[in-house]
Amino acid sequence: MSVRSVALVGGVTTKFGVRPATWSELAQEVGAALFRAVPDLRAEEVDSLFVGAAEPERFAFQSHVAPLAAEQMGLRPTHIIQRTELACASGQSAIRSAYAAIASGLSEVAVAVGVEKMNLPSMAEASTAMGCVMDRPWDGPHGATAPPFFAMVAQRHQLEHGTTDEQMAAVSEKNHRFANANPTAQFYEKKFSREKLLHLPLVAPPLRLGDCSSMTDGAAAVVLVAEERARQFTDTPAWIRGTGQYSNFHNLAHAGSLTDWVGLRHAAREAFGRAGIGPNDLDFAEVHDCFTISEIIEYEMFGWCPPGQGGRFAADGQGDIGGKLVVNPRGGLLGCGHPLGATGVAQAVEVLQQFQARVPPARAVPDPEWALVHNLSGSANVHSVMIYQRGGAG
Amino acid sequence: MSSASRSRRPAPTTAPPAAEPRSSPAPAAAPETRPREKRPFLLDFFPLDTPDQTRLSAFYDRLRTGHLSTTRCPKDRSLHWPPRTACPDCHTEELDWVDLPELGKIYAFSAVLGGAPLGMESEVPFAVGLVDLDGAPLRLFGRIEGRPWNELRIGQAVRVETYDIGDGRYFYRFRVRD
Ligand SMILES: [Zn+2]
Repeated sequence: MSVRSVALVGGVTTKFGVRPATWSELAQEVGAALFRAVPDLRAEEVDSLFVGAAEPERFAFQSHVAPLAAEQMGLRPTHIIQRTELACASGQSAIRSAYAAIASGLSEVAVAVGVEKMNLPSMAEASTAMGCVMDRPWDGPHGATAPPFFAMVAQRHQLEHGTTDEQMAAVSEKNHRFANANPTAQFYEKKFSREKLLHLPLVAPPLRLGDCSSMTDGAAAVVLVAEERARQFTDTPAWIRGTGQYSNFHNLAHAGSLTDWVGLRHAAREAFGRAGIGPNDLDFAEVHDCFTISEIIEYEMFGWCPPGQGGRFAADGQGDIGGKLVVNPRGGLLGCGHPLGATGVAQAVEVLQQFQARVPPARAVPDPEWALVHNLSGSANVHSVMIYQRGGAG
Repeated sequence: MSSASRSRRPAPTTAPPAAEPRSSPAPAAAPETRPREKRPFLLDFFPLDTPDQTRLSAFYDRLRTGHLSTTRCPKDRSLHWPPRTACPDCHTEELDWVDLPELGKIYAFSAVLGGAPLGMESEVPFAVGLVDLDGAPLRLFGRIEGRPWNELRIGQAVRVETYDIGDGRYFYRFRVRD
């Protein structure tokens, strides 16, 4: 079956951080910003809206958020209106769904938006929400949330491959440094040296505060169109060339090896196969650094370095500008914060802005043609990958 | 591991299937049981365990007698975790209950030093880990008691224990062996 090509033609990210704003206000804010950022977009053209939102029921006491978001953004979708929920990958799921809708001919112009409000007066309530991502009645009562799980991943990687706290800090230093050149990042104005990172308090040993992404409020939105419409918006779109996804397990008993992420290797193979490129053809990647150890394992699973060598790859600056490929030039989840539903959309916005050479020099990838976006969700049990090519480049 | 009775659905509502006697039954954790406020279900991680809410109430009944159990498929012999009402491989809904080994070894561990969910704030710091059960192909996640987190090590021997969570419901956890 032949499918239409789909282009990402515009996008915008709100300020990420601890925002004095409700879920709906964030949706309004990103809607207003989207129409300013894409002046050629007319609301009545947007036939479909996909809303990435992980836990509005918990964090904002609100269900049925797709029509709520449409109303906040001033949209009246006529073809498809739906929410996509895949925990930390909810935003990328919105984009993948929009892609599928346009490629199949069900939609011509779609908006994918991600919104998450996570900072509550009670940290315990927010942690309770995060705990529901796991197999709640089985893993939840023990106190399973993301930090202790990824701490065990780090412990095993350190044991099996000799990865060090210093190598993990190198990931965090790089991503925070990029975030210092991204005004939308939660930690835009905060400096983190490796030395400082190594002395931050332990959250879940061996992970320290600087190894963990934050609870963040924020929103991001992108416009996707069928190939015939791309030029109406921009000469430099980001074409979606490949995508893949793999769901491996859910209950923590089935995680298997904590350091060999089988699901990521499957999702990557699928995405690279569809795009017709390999891991070494990429110029940059936005990967899911919910924790420093995640990015280290992702280097390995994507094939940018041999298994077990991710720590060395980080310490050698191979994921930095001037290295093998630039990883997380946006600032990553570590530097930008991680508003669950918004993260995947914000990563796509970064891809477009890098392609259009609209980012500050300190985090600009030189002449990029191919980019990859990756999200894991939950306990790295699901992996979602998209591959983009710069329009007019190939 | 002992095979227990077979039921059409793994959820007998009254007496739980008899388990084999154990030489060293899992100790009740009376000293650590605290009276517990009844929490609204949507703010409580612990499951509703009664037969009007779950087809796996037998699992919780067996916890009350000190036994951690699960289901096993009589056709393909696959051992499930968590216990199930349908086999994920052959999809039969007629499953056996079996008791799990009560000893195991730590595969990985960490600790929650802050940011604990509701109801667990007063337990911080607490250790959690993945435990390989001795003689069963299962690696279970759970709380690890009995030593501070920084005295745990990979490979350390632990024992399964069941405990009253403080409102009449039971759950399971691991305790470092002396
Ligand atoms: Zn079976």
